[in-house]
Amino acid sequence: MVDSAKSAVSAPDKLQLPAPTAWPIVLAFGIALVFAGLVTSATVSVLGAILLITGAVGWFRDVLPHEAHETVPVLPDTAVIQTSRREVARLGVAPGVRRAWLPIEVYPVSAGIKGGLAGSVAMAALAMLYGQLTHGSIWYPINLLVAGFFPAAATTAQIAAFNLSALLIAIPIHLLTSLLVGSLYGVLLPMFPRRPILLGGLFAPILWSGLLFSTLNIINPVLNKRISWPWFVLSQVGFGIVAGIVVSYQARIRTWQNLPFAVRAGIEAPGLMTEKDQE
Amino acid sequence: MSTELIAWPRAPESSVPFVERLHGWVTTVDHKRLGLMYILYAMVFLLIGGIEALIMRIQLAVPHNNFVSPQVFNRLFTMHGTTMIFFVIMPLVFGFANYLVPLMIGARDMAFPRLNAFSFWLTAFGGILLYFSWLGANGLYGAGNAPDVGWFAYAPLTSRTFSVGHSTDYWTLSLLVSGFGSIGAAINIIATTLCLRSPGMTLGKMPLFAWLNLVMAGLVILAISPLSAAQIMLVIDRYLGGHFFDTQAGGSAVIWMHFFWVFGHPEVYVLVLPAFGIASEIIPVFSRKAIFGYPIMVAATVAIGFISMSVWAHHMFTVGMSSNANTFFVLSTMAIAVPTGIKIFNWLATMWGGKIEFKAPMLFCTAFLFQFLIAGLTGIMQGAAPFDWHLANSYFVIAHFHYVIVGGILFTFFAAFYYWFPKVTGRMYNETLAKLHFWLFFIGFHLTFDFMHIPGLLGMPRRIYTYEPGRGWETWNLIVTIGVVFQALGILVFIVNLLWSYFKGKTAGNDPWDAWTLEWSTSSPPPAYNFAVTPSVKSRRPLWDLKHPEDPDWRYE
Repeated sequence: MVDSAKSAVSAPDKLQLPAPTAWPIVLAFGIALVFAGLVTSATVSVLGAILLITGAVGWFRDVLPHEAHETVPVLPDTAVIQTSRREVARLGVAPGVRRAWLPIEVYPVSAGIKGGLAGSVAMAALAMLYGQLTHGSIWYPINLLVAGFFPAAATTAQIAAFNLSALLIAIPIHLLTSLLVGSLYGVLLPMFPRRPILLGGLFAPILWSGLLFSTLNIINPVLNKRISWPWFVLSQVGFGIVAGIVVSYQARIRTWQNLPFAVRAGIEAPGLMTEKDQE
Repeated sequence: MSTELIAWPRAPESSVPFVERLHGWVTTVDHKRLGLMYILYAMVFLLIGGIEALIMRIQLAVPHNNFVSPQVFNRLFTMHGTTMIFFVIMPLVFGFANYLVPLMIGARDMAFPRLNAFSFWLTAFGGILLYFSWLGANGLYGAGNAPDVGWFAYAPLTSRTFSVGHSTDYWTLSLLVSGFGSIGAAINIIATTLCLRSPGMTLGKMPLFAWLNLVMAGLVILAISPLSAAQIMLVIDRYLGGHFFDTQAGGSAVIWMHFFWVFGHPEVYVLVLPAFGIASEIIPVFSRKAIFGYPIMVAATVAIGFISMSVWAHHMFTVGMSSNANTFFVLSTMAIAVPTGIKIFNWLATMWGGKIEFKAPMLFCTAFLFQFLIAGLTGIMQGAAPFDWHLANSYFVIAHFHYVIVGGILFTFFAAFYYWFPKVTGRMYNETLAKLHFWLFFIGFHLTFDFMHIPGLLGMPRRIYTYEPGRGWETWNLIVTIGVVFQALGILVFIVNLLWSYFKGKTAGNDPWDAWTLEWSTSSPPPAYNFAVTPSVKSRRPLWDLKHPEDPDWRYE
């Protein structure tokens, strides 16, 4: 704060400030003319040099042995520091706490992992249902996921058939992506605490689907050619809802960011906060 | 000379004879007056540079136009670029830093008041020398007058073979002179922020505007020095038979490019960091919230300062550097987007949940946020070398660059004009005119620079004097020119508003925005000594603490 002792420390009647001087402009003009002479006439440079030396000497005399000052009277200070907004609205996220570093609580990393795993099961189930209903094979979507390893000219029958190699590649891809997205949910959901299902179940899947829609042709051209976008979005939403529910049911942990560094570092510092508050 | 005691006969300004007032301004070492002189000087050159742009746009509005000759067109784009960078935005940066930094940190003046005056006058004479070229450089028959080598003046265009007469010399010497001024101003800002902060104002409690200007000043010293060195080498080449940039005699034209861009890219951050500082002061006040993530904002600023020194050669992807060099500069260019992105997130987080008041300063800052984001995104696009190979030297680059300089920087400086106008003059500006200015300029900006990207993508090169019809460029160029008319009208309203408000505006009081930094604790306009008693502070928002003693910030910082 501005020291409230402002009025208690009496203001002086007058103050000393650096005195106005013409030497800086003379010196600057001299330097400019020295250079200007290169493109006009040597006499301009000579004049510039004279001004330069005069300006420098004048400047030295202005500050040596002591700087020249002028004394100015201090005007009566009538400034009153006050606000027209006495009422301060506070975010209602932390009742009883006047100031809070947001987020106050977060989900542990394990919550994101659990959510990702649960979502992966839901998504896989929906995808396999799609395969069964449209192509009579639960392996169709699994093989499509790794279709980059298939020849571009692979037939639908080939993709619908069981393929152990494809399954072994598809499982880690599916799990890894699900865990990453689940972890992201764990980080993001506390930021939108009011409507976790809306964010997790709708917003995020649609954004994710949009991103894939624009890039899938580069990542997996075969999948891009054969994908059914309504089913894809449906399985993404399924993932989002299940992962969002699982994450939001996990216990939250308090963040430490509003604690002093000594406490966060594990150093015993009793009374640290109390002393600060009492100041 | 010993300390001189002079009475301070501060009669009302209007009752002092004009010559005496003029003398007072010419000999002043007061940081506030010098700041105002920087700003007024920049405004004059803004008008000149704007008129140059308008003439160029008229020339390009339709194909096969002959509004000006090709020779004049070359001079116009050279003078426009040089003027806007060196004699508009740079003086604006130094002007606002001069006026505000001492007030914000509770100091009575800059650390070196005489050096401050000297720096301003060097900058001023540099600009005058540049524009004297229109008259003075026409020394040889047919040699032309004003510089016409483009604002980055690549070799060998600048050699005596291709640039006879003195036009290029005026460009070199004027930038050399003003460059010395910039270095002096930067030294002053660094010394002031490091040494003159009021008691209690640790670096962690310094206003972000002061922080950003501190980093900016460091960059000025690092960036202007190689430019000045290159200018001296060019003078040696042109006058003393040197061959620094003469490829046929063992020199290197590419060396000039490196010298220029090792200045040129940090220069963008020299210009934009103070704009960030302005946004960091205005957005919290008009959102009624403290800035989100102050330590990260400072860290991002310092990171930008460091990384900005390692990205310069992304301007040179088409020169034919090695693949290692290309890769390095692509990655460093991508890296600088990270701290910049952090800042944008933090400004948005400051606004989030705030009680936002869309007064003119906040309108300009909000527009800045979105425009600078787009500018950054097109910058990242061009930061990828293969993409740049397609678009280098096209109008896409011009659109991106103006998105940064106008959409990013000029918008925040307009915000700053309105935000601090009451402090500087003691009067309020006219809000209706300010909003009219905003909308005219906003529409004009987007008409001009959104649509300028398209002819660039269609292959229209920069700096062409005219073009053939039938290439799909006509409509876009016409829209771009129409946008400039809106911008010019906006500027006109802005000037009218400033003049009218200065003479007829309502009295503002000391703290019309209910703000939190120290400059609002002194009278408007501030007295010569700024603060009768040096204030001591305990938090980043010292005035908040005074206004809310029951809940001061220092308990939580």
